[in-house]
Amino acid sequence: MLLPVVEYLPQTVLSRLEIYMTLESEWEPRIVGFLCKWCSYAGADLAGTSRKKYLPNIGIVKVPCSGRVDPLFIVKGLRMGFDGVLVSGCHPGDCHYQTGNYRARRRLAITKEFLEYLGVEPQRIQASWVSASEGAKFAEVVNEVTREVREIGANRLFADERNGTKAAKGS
Amino acid sequence: MKEMEQRLQKEARALLEQGKVDYIIGFEPGSLKFTTTPLITKDKEDVERLVINPFIVNNLSVFLTELQGRVGIVVKGCDSRSIVSLIQDNKVVREDVVIIGIPCTGLIDLSKVELVTGKDRDELDDIAWQGDKITVRFDGEEKVFPTEEVLFDNCLGCECPTPQEYDILLGEPRPAAPNLTASRKNLEKLDGMSSEERWDFWKNEFSRCIRCYACRNVCPACFCKRCFVEESEPQWVLPVPRWQDNLIFQVIRNIHVAGRCTDCGECERACPVNIPLRSLSKRMYELVDELFQFKAGMDKDAVPLMTHYELEEAEDFIR
Amino acid sequence: MTTSQKIKKTDLGKLLNQWSQEFTVLVPWRENGLATWAKWNGTDTSFIDWYRNTVVPAKAHFLPSQEEMFRFQKDEKGYHIELPDADEHKQLIFGIRPCDARALTIVSPIFEELYEDPYYLAKRNNTLLVGLACTRPCDSCFCTSLGINPAESIDVDLMVTDIGDQFLIEGISEAGKELIAGASEVKEATEADEAKAKEIKEASYQKVTRKVDTDNIKEKLSVCFEDEEHWEKVADNCISCGICTLLCPTCFCFDINDELVKKQGTRFRSWDSCAFSIYTKMPMENPREEKWRRVRQKVCHKFEFHPMSYDIIACVGCGRCIRQCPVNWDITQVLNNLPAKV
Repeated sequence: MLLPVVEYLPQTVLSRLEIYMTLESEWEPRIVGFLCKWCSYAGADLAGTSRKKYLPNIGIVKVPCSGRVDPLFIVKGLRMGFDGVLVSGCHPGDCHYQTGNYRARRRLAITKEFLEYLGVEPQRIQASWVSASEGAKFAEVVNEVTREVREIGANRLFADERNGTKAAKGS
Repeated sequence: MKEMEQRLQKEARALLEQGKVDYIIGFEPGSLKFTTTPLITKDKEDVERLVINPFIVNNLSVFLTELQGRVGIVVKGCDSRSIVSLIQDNKVVREDVVIIGIPCTGLIDLSKVELVTGKDRDELDDIAWQGDKITVRFDGEEKVFPTEEVLFDNCLGCECPTPQEYDILLGEPRPAAPNLTASRKNLEKLDGMSSEERWDFWKNEFSRCIRCYACRNVCPACFCKRCFVEESEPQWVLPVPRWQDNLIFQVIRNIHVAGRCTDCGECERACPVNIPLRSLSKRMYELVDELFQFKAGMDKDAVPLMTHYELEEAEDFIR
Repeated sequence: MTTSQKIKKTDLGKLLNQWSQEFTVLVPWRENGLATWAKWNGTDTSFIDWYRNTVVPAKAHFLPSQEEMFRFQKDEKGYHIELPDADEHKQLIFGIRPCDARALTIVSPIFEELYEDPYYLAKRNNTLLVGLACTRPCDSCFCTSLGINPAESIDVDLMVTDIGDQFLIEGISEAGKELIAGASEVKEATEADEAKAKEIKEASYQKVTRKVDTDNIKEKLSVCFEDEEHWEKVADNCISCGICTLLCPTCFCFDINDELVKKQGTRFRSWDSCAFSIYTKMPMENPREEKWRRVRQKVCHKFEFHPMSYDIIACVGCGRCIRQCPVNWDITQVLNNLPAKV
């Protein structure tokens, strides 16, 4: 069950997040992955074509560059009840636009640390460099991230009742 | 302080008379006890109302982006850093401002005075600064407090009492003597909590927020013409003051001003419902320093933090 | 023969407990240095000593800062609307100040006359107000200029005045009189008690020193409405935050927003403020883009436009807009220094 993929208008990002939310079953980690179309996204593709198996818990949003990932995407992902957020881009030095991933790195560093300071578990915000040729690495990243997120459990950060049974009502 | 005040009035008058500036922005006495209010004027007769006292709380650089023309502006250390930061962001042209700097001794936090005296601010007769002590008079009594007990937290940790950038300095430069422990008191409490406790803490704090946006509007670093919370297509955050939306607003606001926030503490002071916002902004200030060795508003020629990168820097969190 | 009752201060808790059986009793409460309203916890009456007024006015219990209006969903047959359960819980606000009580009297017609606002009215009709005479007005208060005595009110159901070690209780409405009808702690007040209360009321009135000249205020504002230069000057230190309006007990503007998640919608209403530039934003145009126009609107609405439609000034002089303003913008100075003399 590999989740579908989208292009990257803000509206589409948002509506795509919504579609992923509708998965209903026993609790399974749900992870949203923002993948750069030049590398990690192609890496995911390669994982598929080379029949690498990886866990189906990730929904992919294609972005033009990891530098496109606004911290708002990450926070909004958590707000909508995703259990983890993965941002993946090109290795340093390989950005299609020269510098996008360097900028993403800076932004991610403060976003991650700051959210942890607020009380978000570190495992929920993940990042990786995966190139177009690293299909195997992509599969590994997804498996690892899923495992870590599974360990910390469901995201109840934005739920009104944290320990209750009411589901996080997203927006 | 009286001398500084007289010199300020003289300098401000001269600037207006000689046509070096179109406006003067400073402080005049407020209408309530122990308050001041921003004075923005073109009239040289108004300069007599300019004051300098331990209650000049506003960061006046917030007005710079809305005025046309050349401006003479009264600043404390932290405010000057905000101006430097605005210059870095090309929001203010250095040549268009005449910066009148105050070597700042710190400002008195009236909420703390209320706490130590058990009196409301309008019941106090006088608050006076004597050396390293603050004397408060009320009900015919006189009580003396060490400055540490009544100054704003951010003033206690001030790294830059003398303005970083100035054209006129009203007095001798003051060396920095930051008392980190005192200024981090609220943050320390949070550091000692588990992530779950911290999240619950903020959840509780933000459930009080009424979304007046005073924190954003007093902030010189928040200079966007249109804030992301006002976007409705797509609507990332609802303008409804639910704690979830309030918290997201504040998280993203802090990320937006990372590398611009100078820890002036205005957001926390302006908040009408006492949300300890500085515990967020100060942490971001520290983070930026830890990760990128960057302090906002120290060097007007520095490249703004978020438009820049180093080839090698913090990435051990990336797989 | 006296008409009022009294109760020992130490018995107040008992009375509140008794009311708690029928009502959700709200009392002044202080948390993180913030004076607010909270549900009576059964014991703590320490607010008697510190309480002056709350930061967020009691209007928040009728027009909350945010509330869910209804839920909706759409399918092939159209929209389905699910209304919230009728809010029938009865509340009693103990300690409302005369200014804030008057504010409710000013605001209520807006939710009653042009249209009937079920959300507001359900709460308003299910609430009893017990006023507490204000004996320590703040230096930002100017209620007396708006015809309010800080220690007297006809806008409440029951009025309570601190007369030393006792509270004098005056029944104002029938519902209020019923509230104390069966209370065993309540005794008949003596003439001396009433005299003392009268003295306190007069003294309180004198304690309000901030004044606004409201004579011909409507006309004065109308004359200088077009004086752009004046309003620019008045507005120059405003930072356009919403504190003065959101915390104003007579401000009632609200915004309505829909949240749609997975075709499930919720409609919210929440406080809005004319100080925000997007308040009047329309496609193509914003008639109050400039700050001074918004400041002028705020002043004129309260003192000119509202009186034109309702014959009463929409300000009660509670002083929150002065006290809480981050830049100490002061409406009393603005009103007292209007360029037009009529």
